[in-house]
Amino acid sequence: MMMMDLGFLEGGAGMADAGHDESGSPPRSGGVREQDRFLPIANISRIMKKAVPANGKIAKDAKETLQECVSEFISFVTSEASDKCQKEKRKTINGEDLLFAMGTLGFEEYVDPLKIYLHKYREVIGDSKLSSKAGDGSVKKDTIGPHSGASSSSAQGMVGAYTQGMGYMQPQYHNGDT
Amino acid sequence: MDNQQLPYAGQPAAAGAGAPVPGVPGAGGPPAVPHHHLLQQQQAQLQAFWAYQRQEAERASASDFKNHQLPLARIKKIMKADEDVRMISAEAPVLFAKACELFILELTIRSWLHAEENKRRTLQRNDVAAAIARTDVFDFLVDIVPREEAKEEPGSALGFAAGGPAGAVGAAGPAAGLPYYYPPMGQPAPMMPAWHVPAWDPAWQQGAAPDVDQGAAGSFSEEGQQGFAGHGGAAASFPPAPPSSE
Repeated sequence: MMMMDLGFLEGGAGMADAGHDESGSPPRSGGVREQDRFLPIANISRIMKKAVPANGKIAKDAKETLQECVSEFISFVTSEASDKCQKEKRKTINGEDLLFAMGTLGFEEYVDPLKIYLHKYREVIGDSKLSSKAGDGSVKKDTIGPHSGASSSSAQGMVGAYTQGMGYMQPQYHNGDT
Repeated sequence: MDNQQLPYAGQPAAAGAGAPVPGVPGAGGPPAVPHHHLLQQQQAQLQAFWAYQRQEAERASASDFKNHQLPLARIKKIMKADEDVRMISAEAPVLFAKACELFILELTIRSWLHAEENKRRTLQRNDVAAAIARTDVFDFLVDIVPREEAKEEPGSALGFAAGGPAGAVGAAGPAAGLPYYYPPMGQPAPMMPAWHVPAWDPAWQQGAAPDVDQGAAGSFSEEGQQGFAGHGGAAASFPPAPPSSE
């Protein structure tokens, strides 16, 4: 319920644009606002192409529709995870919270591969951190990807990492390579 | 390099299943055959997709975590749009990047199946609307993609666009209630019935070259058959559409 309200508020301008777009020819507008609300259509398009045959084509309106659906998916799962964190008096949403939320919302099929993926991520980042100490921060990923823990000191580290992460001018396809 | 057998070879049910593979239906076959056949192929494709994703996750490497398919900063912004969200661990956007990739792949596969049912080679918005309408887990998207778009489309050959409940799709209902479908071309006895889903290499097997057609459509057909065997073995885990024997 709350999620729907937030979605409505958040997407108010978007819905107006969508309505206008459906009834007429003007392209979707939004500029900076749209950039903040959606993932880049080029990335989404590239992933979609993996799911259709080589001679299949994807209309632009289908790509834009997926853009909207993905943002809604993120908000939907995030809201569920956030509710659980609040009930448990925790402030930070972590990977397990997202996995639990997806399971609760019916995305059971996603949980197995993502659990494996999260496990691999922690392994790899842990290794990188160890090698990074010797290499003096050669892997920038480390600075925004500390191995998460339950202790308060670790939480403080995450806050710093999060702040640093926000400072990155992130390229389309890479994370932290700049 | 991955070969086409991988998604099916990894399924224990496929290895152990003795389920019979349905033969190619004849042009004069009963009406139930084409719809049932198509549904089985759709389910087999999705099952193979999920089995493959579980294997792929095992192979995630450091470079995968550095070169995400989707930008993490943008994911964070969308998460933070919810005012109740306060702090986000660094792993959360990383996990979401993968989750969103799975979401896009699944929704696109289901949408493409609808385009195929309507004999189109271009995925359109109303294909996405139809996929959302017929998939329970995507209910939260019905306001994002109004379903009326799907209704405006002339009825598809198999009648799925009519918007029957998701449960009906897996039941005998659509087969029993639908008129027999004749291939649009005037061939008296086509070797390949028009409802047969054309074999294609699903590029979601990321081990393969993503945008290059590898040909060997025949090999996919073989996989499809194995998929049916696997599906037979895994029927219990696919509640919406338990298959009936042909």
